[in-house]
Amino acid sequence: MSDALAELLRHPALWRGSSAVAPRTVSTGFRLLDTRLPGGGWPLSTLIELLVPTAGVGEIRLLLPALRALATATPGEPRWIAWLAPPHLPYAPALADAGLDPARMLVIRPRAGLDGFWAMEQALRSGVCAAVLGWIGTAGDQALRRLKLAAEEGCTPGFLLRPSVHRAECSPAALRLALLARDYGLDVEILKSRGGGPARIERLPIH
Amino acid sequence: MFEPHPAAITPAPASHRRALEPVPAPPAAAAPSARELWLAAHFPRLPLDALLPGTGQGRAAAVTATDDPRRSIVACNERAARQGVAPGMSLNAALALVPGLRVEERRHPAEAALLDRLGRWALQFTPVVSLEPPSAVLAEVRGSLDLFGGVMALWRRALAGLSASGLQASLALAPTPRAALWLARADLAMTVTRADAMPGIAARLPLACLQWPQDTIATLQGLGIRNVADLLRLPRSGFAARFGPRLLDELDEGLGRRPMPRRRHVVPERFDERLELPVATELTAGLQPALEYLLGHLDAFLRARASGVGTLRVDLLHRGQAPTRLWVTLTRMAGDVEHLRELLRERLAQCRPAAPAEALRLRSGVLLPLTLRDAGLFERGRSADPEATARLLDRLRARLGHQAVFGVSPVPEHRPERAWRVAEPGGTAPVPLSWPASRPARPLWMLSEPQPLDGWEGALVTGPERIETGWWDGHDVRRDYYVALSRAGVRLWIFRERPPGQGWFLHGVFG
Repeated sequence: MSDALAELLRHPALWRGSSAVAPRTVSTGFRLLDTRLPGGGWPLSTLIELLVPTAGVGEIRLLLPALRALATATPGEPRWIAWLAPPHLPYAPALADAGLDPARMLVIRPRAGLDGFWAMEQALRSGVCAAVLGWIGTAGDQALRRLKLAAEEGCTPGFLLRPSVHRAECSPAALRLALLARDYGLDVEILKSRGGGPARIERLPIH
Repeated sequence: MFEPHPAAITPAPASHRRALEPVPAPPAAAAPSARELWLAAHFPRLPLDALLPGTGQGRAAAVTATDDPRRSIVACNERAARQGVAPGMSLNAALALVPGLRVEERRHPAEAALLDRLGRWALQFTPVVSLEPPSAVLAEVRGSLDLFGGVMALWRRALAGLSASGLQASLALAPTPRAALWLARADLAMTVTRADAMPGIAARLPLACLQWPQDTIATLQGLGIRNVADLLRLPRSGFAARFGPRLLDELDEGLGRRPMPRRRHVVPERFDERLELPVATELTAGLQPALEYLLGHLDAFLRARASGVGTLRVDLLHRGQAPTRLWVTLTRMAGDVEHLRELLRERLAQCRPAAPAEALRLRSGVLLPLTLRDAGLFERGRSADPEATARLLDRLRARLGHQAVFGVSPVPEHRPERAWRVAEPGGTAPVPLSWPASRPARPLWMLSEPQPLDGWEGALVTGPERIETGWWDGHDVRRDYYVALSRAGVRLWIFRERPPGQGWFLHGVFG
């Protein structure tokens, strides 16, 4: 009986709260945030949800250090950073200034509807992206689950950027943060994190 | 008479020595006898026929050379020829003769494509076909004579085919490819089947049929040589010394004293198959099984040839209507049908055929040799495998459209809206070095058009950065840019036109 239980507990899909093995992560580049996240950074190969009141509060600047690290981390051909349905166009000179190679950006602008989900799933599953950033608003639980699965399968972190109105909905994302701009900084609220508890960081200096 | 060996007297460099040595005629016995029979088809009007097909009777038309300041005529149609236009004439002279002459500039790719088609046409007579650019096709037909019922029957058949196509052509048959070319160019319409008959005919071959350089022909004419027979009477060593051994070799090839190896014309292979549907249908679900069937054949076809394809076309054939065509173009050549199947399924699902399809046709682009690479066991998710990237791009574009997936590239330009452009993913130029390193920060988001900010109130954080440039191309900008903070805490990049007065515009968001 206990053998069977032990075997069951070894199943990768099972998660036992804080006793779970720390996930593989990449540093966010902000020490204050790293200390609050289980594993000390953004978890790799899963879905991460960022809730923003309006596009542009600083979500990209928050992700930049990690994107830089992810894009250049692996030997061989550098991987892509996919921008799915971004609210505006990523500006190549600014990307270059920020240390991201514009040649490795992949912008995907699907028509409205389910194409966005489908495209994000494809990009995550392909395993050729260092990170996939998706701006997808309304999403069913089923669709989000699929995205998470695709991220796990492709070993790619998927950052889902959604409006704050979805805060009350439940989500399968391994990590959920709510962002709020305040006094030139960013208030980061950890709503859910696998292997960690809720937390709040005020005025994270992002520049 | 004793003649000292020239090389013994003048120690010439090695490259010259060959021309100075006496050149003995190769023994006739070693020549390929009439075991071969070459059909030559020469197309004197090919430059014209490639550009204006079927213009024999209409308006007077001519094609001019491109690399010639006189723009001399290279070919003209019969109507122009009747009014005195001839190849070699300058364009001005031709226009003086025929004021309403239609003039086109020669296009070599079109000529090469037409010659290629003619090569395919000649493949019906024999598998041994060779192109002789710019304007002739050779075919070795000895082996096919019985099949076509003799020399004359084959000749008539070839002639009928060419005249039906509306091309001006002259045919000739000879035991060697070079001799057949000469005869065809001389427009003698002769069939020579005996290997030893060529010297007898040489007197009827003008020098022009050799297509030698113009100055060589002029020199020969200056020596009083009018035809190939005169040429053959010249001493061999003297000829070789004066005109080079290559031209002597050509003469020997024509007489069958020397073989003339030909490169075979090979038509690139394609997959092309059609399948009748048991029931006419416009439902993509009904078409799917037929497509699967054809893809199965394509798979076997590609495997057997170790090849891949870069493009694929599916035609839905309707009764009494133009077929519905679906194209799939791959970012990277694929040899694996699984990927193609996925893309085609996507295209088929989006396609709304106008009428029920009765048959399906699957046609590939030119086959390309596949280079096999080892699939790494532990590579997944480690680096951007170009193969996997290409698959992702193909898949996204098949469903979302080609324009929906792109990359971005910086452009060295001070006007912010022109400092970037859309690029093929990965095909971006490296970041230009001409940018000042100390330039103020740029926003990560750019609006496609600056948006007027009506009644905007917010805090200016830094600025101004004056951008005043572009007066030379009419799209000049005179702006003062500021970094500002909106009430929601969003950092914006805004500007005011100079001189001030038109209000604020939002141009970017720092994200």
